[in-house]
Amino acid sequence: MIPVLALVVGVVLGLVFGPTVPGWLEPYLPIAVVAALDAVFGGIRAKLDGIFDDQQFVISFISNVLVAALIVYLGDQLGVGGQLSTGVVVVLGVRIFGNVAAIRRHLFRA
Amino acid sequence: MTGPEQKPPQRRWMSPDFLSELFSNPLDPGYADAAARRAKSGPPTGWRRTTRRTAAVLVAGLIGLLFAVAYRQTMADEPRRSQARADLVSQIKARQETTDNLRGQADRLRDEVARERDAALGTNHAAQQRETEAATGLRRVTGDGLVVRLTDAADAAEDGGEHELGRIFDRDLQLVTNALWAAGAEAIAVNDQRLTATSTIRKAGGAILVDFRPVTSPYEIRVIGPGNLEDRFDDSAAAALMRRVADVEHIGFDTHREDDLNLPAATEPTLNYATRPAPPSATPTPGSTSSSSPSGGG
Repeated sequence: MIPVLALVVGVVLGLVFGPTVPGWLEPYLPIAVVAALDAVFGGIRAKLDGIFDDQQFVISFISNVLVAALIVYLGDQLGVGGQLSTGVVVVLGVRIFGNVAAIRRHLFRA
Repeated sequence: MTGPEQKPPQRRWMSPDFLSELFSNPLDPGYADAAARRAKSGPPTGWRRTTRRTAAVLVAGLIGLLFAVAYRQTMADEPRRSQARADLVSQIKARQETTDNLRGQADRLRDEVARERDAALGTNHAAQQRETEAATGLRRVTGDGLVVRLTDAADAAEDGGEHELGRIFDRDLQLVTNALWAAGAEAIAVNDQRLTATSTIRKAGGAILVDFRPVTSPYEIRVIGPGNLEDRFDDSAAAALMRRVADVEHIGFDTHREDDLNLPAATEPTLNYATRPAPPSATPTPGSTSSSSPSGGG
């Protein structure tokens, strides 16, 4: 429950203070959001499965963001940034869908 | 990592069907591993537990912050995009205004030049020059004549659509204007584009260009000509064809007499000067040189 509250607090802080993103970080923002969504839904599913683990949650978020950013950076350097970003979004999107389906089964038994 | 939870880790990555594995098991196996570890050694206690909990809470807050920042960023980008579009539109409008101003200025200057020239030339020459300019479309002309209106059918589709025949084609305009010349027209303008002897009416993409300026439906062809122009045009094959197309495809086709038509001058044509072609550098056959030089010597 506390992490959920922390999430809400983060959103409120972001909306209230509105920190600006430095220009060099901007291309990574959408990918970071998708990676964060993956971590969040993975965490919710694990919570419902009863196997949530704080350490695992932290590590999965940080590694997701780092790997996604690395792939985008590599893609930019190789001139295939758009395609690699699409790949990252597809893979994470599939995971998000799967996790949401599991959450749905937990919540609605359907 | 022993016991019932043990999985051969390479099975996951060496599987030839990585994608179906991904779809069927989207959860990080890490959670299961951690749960197994916890079941074996008991939950973490004391400062270790507090640190991990704090880290998770911080990360959750960070994620929330990330969402908010991304949201703000997207919202901030949106007005910038529409702003750029509005800027472009206003720039186009400003440029069009500039063009109109310049065109008006050019017209004024042209009139001035014509006046000065008339003053410099004798009355006879000036009248002759005026006649020639009017006939070639380089001078504004006023007179009685005919207005031919052609419009696309109301249900005409864009390019390649089902009802493409309901559109006016460039060749329709060519046909009509040529028939008008043949019927004795002295000056013709299509949507205020004066036609000269070198004017072109052609299609580029979906638009019809008259002298490289786009014109759109309704096409209004204003003609100055003799009194029998309308009858002669109505008898022409082009008018008959357009009437038929109007019947079948419902394009708009309408002619009516109108007095005091005022046709603008055409843009100044670029003059082409005839030059003598360069003499052929190579002789057609090697044999001709040998045959010509002896004849010249003998």
